[in-house]
Amino acid sequence: MTIHNERTTGWRVFAYIVMVFFTLLTIGPLFWLFYSSLKPHQDIIQNIFSFPKTLFFENYTEAWRLGKLGIYSMNSIIYTAIATGATTMLALMTGYGFAKFGYDKLTGFFYKFFILGMLITAHSVLVPLFLLEVKLNIDDTRIGVILPYIAFGLPFLIYLATSYIKGIPSALEEAALIDGANYGQIFRMVILPMAVPVTATMIIYNFLGNWNEFIFVFILTSKTALRSLPVGINAFAGGMSRNYGLQFAALVIGTIPMIVFYLFFHKQLKKGFSAGAVKE
Amino acid sequence: MTFHTSKKAYYAAFIGPAVFIYACIIIFPVLYSLGLSFFNWNGYEKMEFVKLANYVRMFKDDVFLLGLRNNLLIVAVSIFGQLPLGFILAYILYRKMVKAQSFFESMIFLPITISAIVVAILWAQIFAPTGLYTTLIQRLTDNPRYIMAVAQDKQLAILPILFVVLWMYTGMYMVIFLASMQKISPSVIESAIIDGASEFQILMKIVAPSMSNILFTTAVFAIAGSLKSFDLIFAMTSGGPAHYTEVIAIYMYTNTFKYYNYGFGSAVSIVIVALSMGLITIAQKVYGFFEKKYE
Repeated sequence: MTIHNERTTGWRVFAYIVMVFFTLLTIGPLFWLFYSSLKPHQDIIQNIFSFPKTLFFENYTEAWRLGKLGIYSMNSIIYTAIATGATTMLALMTGYGFAKFGYDKLTGFFYKFFILGMLITAHSVLVPLFLLEVKLNIDDTRIGVILPYIAFGLPFLIYLATSYIKGIPSALEEAALIDGANYGQIFRMVILPMAVPVTATMIIYNFLGNWNEFIFVFILTSKTALRSLPVGINAFAGGMSRNYGLQFAALVIGTIPMIVFYLFFHKQLKKGFSAGAVKE
Repeated sequence: MTFHTSKKAYYAAFIGPAVFIYACIIIFPVLYSLGLSFFNWNGYEKMEFVKLANYVRMFKDDVFLLGLRNNLLIVAVSIFGQLPLGFILAYILYRKMVKAQSFFESMIFLPITISAIVVAILWAQIFAPTGLYTTLIQRLTDNPRYIMAVAQDKQLAILPILFVVLWMYTGMYMVIFLASMQKISPSVIESAIIDGASEFQILMKIVAPSMSNILFTTAVFAIAGSLKSFDLIFAMTSGGPAHYTEVIAIYMYTNTFKYYNYGFGSAVSIVIVALSMGLITIAQKVYGFFEKKYE
């Protein structure tokens, strides 16, 4: 490769410039946000660049209290845990049905039916969904938030589950059938253990979407007790607080859990995003 | 119960719950929306059948047309900005032109995890009249009177939002392209290098052609994703000032949940679905055209 090196110096310089530029552009604003969140409002106004003179943690305690971020975080955890668990389970079941049961015509129809859903945005169902929930008396309830999370998470997770389960050798199932196992047992004892890798990708991808979801909670709930973190943080955008210190602290509170999550799971997350586009 | 009915029953039990939830929450509302879009209705009075009046009114409304323009700009930035930039970044990583590839990759992909609401408020602060950007330019140009003016300009107010859209999603396309490049057999590249192929030849003759399929898929992602951009703009500008940064989704929100025009709001959401399908069909046609030419 040494011969090659000389000819590619130009490419390398270009590559470093591009990479460093993009990295700074990504990290710079976040770095500024983090250290500014430790400055009192007055200091931010006086000098927008300066580092904090002392670490002003009062921003955090105040933002947490004023913004009721404790309640919102709790709701985010509840919605995300239930919706992610339910969506993943339903998608694995459906994926098993699609991948291993044959019934080509029916499966083909329902599969397309779900894939189409990837193109439908939350906003296109918002009006009727709101009216429907009012009619069923499930507006302003947790179930009224969780159901749309599940429905919108399903298409992509079903796509992931189906293509993965198709790759599991049928010989295993057939052996279990001959041994007298029913399809429920096969699902639990053969398919689920074999599908652990794709399940991890599904959970992590879906978790991210549910945690950051905004519009459904915003429209379908009105009680503080039912709203989640993105809605809580949005309250800092407008009139609620002209105190930049508080606002920045609230933004950091919203960002930290996701950055920790990212540190642990970025590999699976990359897999989730590329799995939709790149055929294995 | 015979073997076959039991198999069918299991099939129904496995796919039934998902089909049911999905049909109730997505398919039924879309159809309901379509029906509602031909009526005038404020939620409690009697519904009035108005045929296509909602659609006619929409396309005569300057605010809607501005929103449509802004939406199409976001689509354009996604396709002609995010995709090429993501491709360049992916190629640099794929060819290992820099050290610490996984560090760079992880950093550039990071914004994807941050809530659009947080991203919106952060950048709204940066682009505010007394914000980081203005102060930075004031110091760099030594001109204390400089103020970023694009936000007050009807034509240009969307620019900061386009920039933030690029900031948020370019890393995602980088990751997708990189995964797809890693599917190319390394021996193909190695033998090309031994045969004396230049970097530019590797890029144009080996990597780019094998990307044609993924290019279509990512274009579909970009189109569908662009029309979804509600959270970001809602938290950043709410469509303001004076509707300069209006997009169709916000227009729908305002008409439905502020003015209680449920019929009109439904018509707007049907236009969003139609637009998304239409643009994707165009992308498919363009892809098919180039695919044929390539062969």
